[in-house]
Amino acid sequence: MSDDKSNNDVPAGDDQDAGEPESAEDTTSGKAEFVLPPVADRDASRMTSAERLAKHAAEQPDDPYAWHSDTPRAHGAERSAIEFINVHKAFGRNKVLNGLDLEIPEGQISMILGPSGTGKSVCIKHMVGLLYPDQGDVLVQGESVPGMVDDRLFEVRKKFGVLFQDGALFGSMNLYDNVAFPLRQHTDMGEGDIAEIVNRRLGEVGLASDGEKMPNELSGGMRKRAGFARALVLDPDIVLFDEPDSGLDPVRTALLCELIREIHEENGGSYVVITHDILSARRVAEHISLLWKGRIVDAGPATELFASENPFVKQFLSGEAAGPLGME
Amino acid sequence: MGIARIRFKFEEWLDAFGRLVKFSGEIVRGVYFGRVITFFGEALRQSGVLIIGSAVVLWTMMFFIGLQCGIEGAYLNRALGSPAYAGLFTAWCDLREVAPYAFGWMMSAKVGTGIVAELGSMRINDEIDALEVMGIDSVLFLGATRLLAAWMVLPFVYIAGIGGSFFASYFAVVQQVADVSSGGYALIFWLFQNPPDLLFSLIKAMFMATGVVLVACYYGYHVTGGPVGVGVATAKSMVANIAIVHLVAMMGTVVFWGTNPRAPIGG
Repeated sequence: MSDDKSNNDVPAGDDQDAGEPESAEDTTSGKAEFVLPPVADRDASRMTSAERLAKHAAEQPDDPYAWHSDTPRAHGAERSAIEFINVHKAFGRNKVLNGLDLEIPEGQISMILGPSGTGKSVCIKHMVGLLYPDQGDVLVQGESVPGMVDDRLFEVRKKFGVLFQDGALFGSMNLYDNVAFPLRQHTDMGEGDIAEIVNRRLGEVGLASDGEKMPNELSGGMRKRAGFARALVLDPDIVLFDEPDSGLDPVRTALLCELIREIHEENGGSYVVITHDILSARRVAEHISLLWKGRIVDAGPATELFASENPFVKQFLSGEAAGPLGME
Repeated sequence: MGIARIRFKFEEWLDAFGRLVKFSGEIVRGVYFGRVITFFGEALRQSGVLIIGSAVVLWTMMFFIGLQCGIEGAYLNRALGSPAYAGLFTAWCDLREVAPYAFGWMMSAKVGTGIVAELGSMRINDEIDALEVMGIDSVLFLGATRLLAAWMVLPFVYIAGIGGSFFASYFAVVQQVADVSSGGYALIFWLFQNPPDLLFSLIKAMFMATGVVLVACYYGYHVTGGPVGVGVATAKSMVANIAIVHLVAMMGTVVFWGTNPRAPIGG
């Protein structure tokens, strides 16, 4: 974790309460930046980053970004599959993303964690161009999504497979046709080839004998697995999961996580899982980004985040009531 | 309600109207320039849905309206002392005015609300987003296919419905009230209409149908707020569609029969 609290953490207007700047450079920058207060205590230089954050949070109780560390950890992948660069998004007066910087490493299972209502699903919609940022940029394999014309966007979307919260299966089609739909629309395959792929994918998710069923005949877990099969059917480079564990009992959640791991091992690709379930994160995440108030609190390899001393990260990843995160 | 509030409401309405026109233009362009052919299978499916789900309802409504026209025409002309001219009343009632209205109303109530409910449910269940992220143009897939289906199927449904209303009027006047012979009724009935009238009537009905489908697609596609939002959108589309049906009916009558030499309605 960074030893310095980022200067971008506090919105303009809040900096007058932040004390005197530490250097002459800061006084001439003209930016609305937050600077840590001067360290009066001789022992302060020996404080850990977590202690610094705690001290800052104590001094600035109204700062919503007191626990946010903006210095990224190395994610270990050669490049990023998806990048958010200073993304802002508001719905009316409700600011959901507030200068979000996020990197999704290529080839790993990444999780975006965060309390409910912090903009996780909004992130997914930005990745596939269903929403556009008010400010900032979203890059998919280095290409700017907001800058794409519609035809290019539709092409880029073929790189994605998305599992929506409830599967989003088409109610007018049976399970087989739902899974076959992307193949029929985007390939010139014959029905024989399509059947082979669809049956293989349905088999992988344990629904080989349910192809004739309509979506309303399936349980929530089956719909999710069917949605997973459909998301995989075009062999996408990037698979997005929007809260795959929502509405599932713990056992089925565990089985679904196991399935995600197995299929990732088999097929590769970059998987992005949105969730607030810590157990799921422990089971499948290789990389974790913790989102709060529209920005990343901390992001990095899962093992590092689970060992983090940042009180906010620690509280969230352990699921404890005591800590900086309250009911607000 | 203050002036500012009225102005705000008006601006809001104008904004929504502009969005509706833009969205409708997108759908019509998709059909007109043939891009919808990519999804011709879906258009055929929607045609099937229209035929199976709505044709009988439309025909039934138009049949009963034909009966009404016949009964009203027969008794009105009897009261006026010209029962042999019941065919004049039914010819105009069936072809020009009331049957197209019945078609428009049933389109709004059955087809329009069905489209809003279906697309609205797809919206709140993320199915439209799912289409988009599969790289499929959802406006084309959901809107243009429905419009194409309507244009392929409804002319035949309408003409068959008009046939049903003709038969119903004949049945009411000749068989039920029985003031006029079959030949006498047919003479007057066919004297006061000709093939162009059928074409005009068809054009009128197709404008109604097109308006209903476009408005329904717009409201369904843009549903927000969960199941309640679907209900609200359905109600709004119903109101808008009924208004469109009446507007098209009035305009159609003026344009097609306003200067008709056999029956100028404009004086």
